[in-house]
Amino acid sequence: MKLKKVISLFVVTSMVAAMALTGCGKKEETKPEVETSTEVEGADEAETTEPEKEMAKKIVVFQSKVEISDQLEALAEAYEEETGVEVEVWGTTGDDYPQQIKTKLSNNQGPTVFSLQPGAEVEQLKAYVADLSDLSFVGDIAEGMAPQADGKVVGVPYTVEGFGLVYNKSLIDPAKVNNYDAFANMLKEMKAKSINGFSLSQEAYFLIGHILNTPFALQADPAGFLAKLNAGEVKMADTPEFQEFGKFMEAIRENTNNPLEVNYDKETGDFATGKSASIHQGNWSYGMFKDYDVDFEMGMMGLPLNGNDKIAVSVPTAWFVNSQASEAEINAGKAFLEWLYTSETGTKYLMEEFGFIPVVKGMESPQLDPLSQEVAKYAAEGKTISWPMTNWPAGIVDVYLVPVAEQFFTTDMTGAEFLAALDEAWVQANK
Amino acid sequence: MKRKSDKFWYGLFTLPLVFVFTTVVLIPFIIGIGYSFFSWDGLPLNPKVFVGVDNFIKLFSDTRFLSSAGHTIFFTLLAIIIINVLGLTFALIVTTKLKVRNLARTMLFMPYLIGGLILGYIWKFIFSDAFANIGEQTGLTNFFFNWLLDYDYALVALVVVATWQMAGYIMIIYIAGIQGIPEDVIEAAAVDGAGFFNTLFRIKFPLIMPSFTICLFLTLSNCFKIFDVNLSLTGGGPNNATEMFAMNIYNEIFQLNNYGYGQAKAIIFFIVVASVTLVQVSITKKKEVSM
Amino acid sequence: MNKIKKFLLNLLAVLVCALYLFPIYIVIVNSFKNRAELYEDMLALPSKFSFEFYEKAMKKMEFLKAFGNSFIVTGISILCIVILAAMTAWMLVRVDNMFSRILFMTFVATMLIPFQTLMMPLMQVMGWIRDTLHIPMIDTLGGLIYMNIGFGASMAVFLYHGFIKSIPVSLEEAATIDGCNKFQTFFKIVFPMLKPTTVTVIILDVIWIWNDYLLPSLVISQKNLRTIPLSTASFFGQFTIQWNLAMAGLTLTIIPVIIFYLLAQKHIIKGVAAGAVK
Repeated sequence: MKLKKVISLFVVTSMVAAMALTGCGKKEETKPEVETSTEVEGADEAETTEPEKEMAKKIVVFQSKVEISDQLEALAEAYEEETGVEVEVWGTTGDDYPQQIKTKLSNNQGPTVFSLQPGAEVEQLKAYVADLSDLSFVGDIAEGMAPQADGKVVGVPYTVEGFGLVYNKSLIDPAKVNNYDAFANMLKEMKAKSINGFSLSQEAYFLIGHILNTPFALQADPAGFLAKLNAGEVKMADTPEFQEFGKFMEAIRENTNNPLEVNYDKETGDFATGKSASIHQGNWSYGMFKDYDVDFEMGMMGLPLNGNDKIAVSVPTAWFVNSQASEAEINAGKAFLEWLYTSETGTKYLMEEFGFIPVVKGMESPQLDPLSQEVAKYAAEGKTISWPMTNWPAGIVDVYLVPVAEQFFTTDMTGAEFLAALDEAWVQANK
Repeated sequence: MKRKSDKFWYGLFTLPLVFVFTTVVLIPFIIGIGYSFFSWDGLPLNPKVFVGVDNFIKLFSDTRFLSSAGHTIFFTLLAIIIINVLGLTFALIVTTKLKVRNLARTMLFMPYLIGGLILGYIWKFIFSDAFANIGEQTGLTNFFFNWLLDYDYALVALVVVATWQMAGYIMIIYIAGIQGIPEDVIEAAAVDGAGFFNTLFRIKFPLIMPSFTICLFLTLSNCFKIFDVNLSLTGGGPNNATEMFAMNIYNEIFQLNNYGYGQAKAIIFFIVVASVTLVQVSITKKKEVSM
Repeated sequence: MNKIKKFLLNLLAVLVCALYLFPIYIVIVNSFKNRAELYEDMLALPSKFSFEFYEKAMKKMEFLKAFGNSFIVTGISILCIVILAAMTAWMLVRVDNMFSRILFMTFVATMLIPFQTLMMPLMQVMGWIRDTLHIPMIDTLGGLIYMNIGFGASMAVFLYHGFIKSIPVSLEEAATIDGCNKFQTFFKIVFPMLKPTTVTVIILDVIWIWNDYLLPSLVISQKNLRTIPLSTASFFGQFTIQWNLAMAGLTLTIIPVIIFYLLAQKHIIKGVAAGAVK
């Protein structure tokens, strides 16, 4: 009997102790009730009928793009000055963001506004993203660029990014490198001059994800093709664009450095110092060159697969509002996005401070870096292909495609065998 | 009366920690076991389908999981031996009267402080650039090449890096054990004319048996759960040759969103490893000498 | 002759250590280089030892604040772990019954659970405590400390358990005869004798908690509660990793631990000397 008393005494004391301990952080807990989500469902219907929209005095923003985190802090201050609503920016977590945001959302400790990658990621989290179709500028977002779930617009794109061949204009003339033979010859010529004609690098997307996107995007109906591939109705090994892709990969393996020996830093460093004539990269890589004295002009061109001259342009990241937040918070989150994309200060930040390429009609960006200018140019000319890779089965690039690519680059498997192995990876990923 | 008060003290001393431990480790673990019977992606608002023991049946035909378990066992056995031999050697050296012992002690323990992406970055550089360079200079290209791209050597490379990281860590525990041997015992042995190896094997080793138990178990548990080094150094490559068990589970849960299946894998592996280790712990415990 | 041998032995030891520390050399020299210089030669000394990356890293990390948070979390967590685990382990050794054995085995066995599988359910339990009991376990330093205690318990109990067995019971019995209760016996007699183990536990746990990234990243969201490893996370973007800031940040992170270790290792020796008197 005494034991029981002791136990209960201890449960209570440790609780008290825990409370005392948690007290040290508690003073910071002024955040409005993001957490009380479960009861929101019932409550929000009642609230929407009220004439005046309830508006939270504070929102929390959590996003994945490390490059803009300092500017975002400044923006948060500007927003508070103009509207009186406090914006708390959570520290960016770098490359484990997807895991972070999922854990936080599943726990009701989600932020008000957050970022996701359009495609499979949004599809998985669609229960957690609010309908944004009533924002005033939604109609002005470039066609097909606003992420949707169940037919409703749920996200606002950050910017567009494009990837393809980033090439050295003094070494390569894109007009002449326009098909497989020309590409393979270029690699051989460069090799004779002890220059690396083309380079991938060991990181998952830079090794296989981005380059494999091209044959997908070149299909007449990329989404339809992907659906069939997932269902096992077609095979890459039997599709012409992929067969050509296999040839490209063989040429790359034979005539260039092994990408598994090259990391992103070395890939861009070799390019900046003229040791590589071209790299398979996007406009985001421009930041990697700022410490170098680059003495040549660079441009972007498509991977000339089946004569392709288009680069792959789409939205890498978009803003979303947490549907599990309180009604007042959702409203405040939407108001923030509205302000960001329509007010003078907001758009100035997007264009000048973040260096984004405009995706909403009426915005103009005065100071793009050379690679982003190329992307904007290709986009304006309509010479773009899409990013079917964002709809590939979740996790496939890291878990299934990378091992196959590693096998390809460490053995002498043929392009055809490579495609067969990729097909097998697709089967595995869809199991 | 006496018994009651004994129980009171027993409770007073153990309950606080047991309570915290239960809420932080045991309950989540039990919840995790529950989830292993579902097909679910881990998000509360998404559908959770009860599939019974399907997840458990599935994993016995999952060749990638089975081979990752194989790598883990091989890696762990190799790493345990090397780490402990090296850690013990270090500990013996830095507990001698060597002048530089304090400096050496600090330097040897420092590698444990480098983890994550930076660790992978540095060691990748050493294996690819530095090794290639040494190979060219010395002509020993059979040994000095990029181990990380070789199916067999990549796992050995992982052992090298894990050893580099953990030997100094294990050394700290051996040091505590060696320092605990009373001086007079050693002196008595010296008076009796025991040589270096005699002292080592007849006196020191038996007396630091508790340290052996602890170190073996700690290396075992660290190696079985190895993740950081795995991810940043090889990422499981080339072609899954170094994918360890923890990484396989991590991929299943966070990359492929098969939360329930990932939990099932974790539980099976836990049962296997726990039974092996508990046997190991009870064997070495029996060999300990009581003072 | 003997002197030369000794000198050579010392020299050899230093050389082995230096080789062992080669990767750390890489960290330090590269914390002074920009991307182009790093690309040029990773092994060379930097062209200039300017601390601009350190300043920048410190500023971006909000170093002092992060240091303070890390200090509080590490300090309180370890204090609780050491005392609670020593108490528990002592009872588990001295009261040798079925229950103790099962409890001990449970502590030991859970050390084999990969943290990745506990993450989600752990955060659910903590979320439940927050929502129903209104104890803010998430996004507070206190919550993080609480969880550290839970995760640190196993290893500490395991270490203490091993060493307590080698302490003679007679001293404790003498204390009991002198009229000490268990509490007094423990803190006056047993705990001081455990000092070498305590120092070992402290060293191992300092390294772990000070450098831990995964658990704090789940628990802490607010910027002003970030610990040091969280504050360096922004140097690792998805595509662009700022190596110089990252390495400067790492150096800043580990210096306090090394200083701590230097101070602590004296205590191992002292502690043992005191213990040997018994």
